[in-house]
Amino acid sequence: MEPWVISTGLIFIYLLATIAIGILANRKGSANMEDFFLYGRQAGLIVLYLTVVATFHSAFAFLGSGGFFYTHGIGFWMAGTWTVLVGAITYTLGTRIWAVGRKFGYITPADMIADFYQSEPVRVIVALVSVLFTLIYIQVQAQGLGYILSVATGDRISFELASLILLVVAAGYLVVGGLRAVYWTDVIQGIWMYVAVWAGSLVITYRLFGGPVELWRRLAAERPDLLSLPGPEGFFTPGIWVGMTIALSFGIIFQPHMMIRYFTAASSRTLKILGATTPIYLMTLFIPAAFVGLGGALILPDLASPDRVFPELLFRYAPPWLTGLILAGATAAAMSTLDSILHSNMTVLTRDIYQRYAAPGRSQKHYLTFGRGVVVVLLVVGWFLTVYNLDFLVTLVTLSGAGALQLMPAVLGVCYPRRRLHTAAGVIAGIAAGLATLYVTRVVFPQPLGLHEAVWSLVVNFAVTIVVSRFTKPPPAEAVERIHGEVERFVYGSGGA
Amino acid sequence: MPTTVTPMKVPRSHFIPRTRSGRRATVAFLLALALSQPPIVHGLVNRIEPWILGMPFLFAYLLAAYLVGIAVLVWALRKGV
Repeated sequence: MEPWVISTGLIFIYLLATIAIGILANRKGSANMEDFFLYGRQAGLIVLYLTVVATFHSAFAFLGSGGFFYTHGIGFWMAGTWTVLVGAITYTLGTRIWAVGRKFGYITPADMIADFYQSEPVRVIVALVSVLFTLIYIQVQAQGLGYILSVATGDRISFELASLILLVVAAGYLVVGGLRAVYWTDVIQGIWMYVAVWAGSLVITYRLFGGPVELWRRLAAERPDLLSLPGPEGFFTPGIWVGMTIALSFGIIFQPHMMIRYFTAASSRTLKILGATTPIYLMTLFIPAAFVGLGGALILPDLASPDRVFPELLFRYAPPWLTGLILAGATAAAMSTLDSILHSNMTVLTRDIYQRYAAPGRSQKHYLTFGRGVVVVLLVVGWFLTVYNLDFLVTLVTLSGAGALQLMPAVLGVCYPRRRLHTAAGVIAGIAAGLATLYVTRVVFPQPLGLHEAVWSLVVNFAVTIVVSRFTKPPPAEAVERIHGEVERFVYGSGGA
Repeated sequence: MPTTVTPMKVPRSHFIPRTRSGRRATVAFLLALALSQPPIVHGLVNRIEPWILGMPFLFAYLLAAYLVGIAVLVWALRKGV
């Protein structure tokens, strides 16, 4: 049997398994919004752990990171920094988001932020920013999926058709089973992708070099430029390092699909354990990525697309059955993020826009039907963006991360009580100024003074938020005392559940 | 939405931890984070040698810094911070 048949067959078996899980989730679930959108707020440690790590790591971890090590060298090991920071953010901020979410019944980040600032414009802007910048992320995942399947089939299935097939499967089990289906598939995906990336990289490393130690020795002898900063192309300057740390930690946490996960936890203790331990999984996944990318730079130095280094090495140097299993793992990595983004966008558009402004007071069944329709529309839009805008994976992730990052002052204003409050006008002005700065420092004058656009946009955002808040009307005392009172009680009172 | 909560009339900043364990955990984590940021990584530890357990120095150093950060989080969890 030809290798591509084995690889493609295993990927399609994996896809069938996810669809079966979606159907099972549909049978177990209830037809209400809290269950469909938030897993009934009862996600336990194992399910939540695996869905968080599987969602955080995407096509980027499998393809983009290998490509980045390949091109820019050891500097990409900085990825460990942002994974550890994500743990701390979950530990401190995630638990606060959980506490107010459970107390006041929030379903989306915009629910929480608009309730505190008592502002409908804030709700709409937060919802739009959430959707706009995660749409880019749908494109990233769909691109990764397209690459994987087209490579697995030896380009017998085109990139366009491959991305469409995988988008349809992810949207399919989401429509059928809601967030329960997403979480259950994420459990398999989280385990599979971790085992796959480690197994694949170790097989390649031992076959080609005799092990990681020998790989490092050869790199030091043949490509020492890959083992020091700022890397062969001078990419990892201090300004970029700091900026990527911020953009890919806070920026990803503030994306709705991550924040919604905090609302779904069964208890605050679950989130604290998650915060303390998820960095182990998240960080160690970049070790095999380093072996793949750096090893690929020695073995295949002239790859046209560095993102394809892992699949290319597998096809040339690993047995077909293992290649199939690993590429199915890569598919899992991309789909687990893709389904979560589709879900969060569906939730935001249904809850924050449709239910609030277009059709209030309708039945839960009506909103669930509308949400399912939104997924179909997002599928079409995501596929269109995928086919008509191919770009380097990491750059796109960074842009989407820096976009959601603009919600940071607003979220901190809700979750961290202090004497000087942010106001609705301040938050809106800050987001607008931050996004404008993001555009200017990325597109018009890229990274002035060598500083990453995430840093520039966040500094301007905070400055504008604080200054405008000084001169505008604060949120109503009732909302501030109610929500900050709950945060105070949760953190320093009797604690959480 | 339910509103049966104790209102907080006099807000105290939550940006500075109030407990000793909280302050220790915060300072320790920030120090661990600083170990993996410029200027340290671009100057002092930006080297291949000495090799540590077969790994180039920069890689091994960053791995150690990340493990320290995780250890601080686990310590905070055990202390109930």
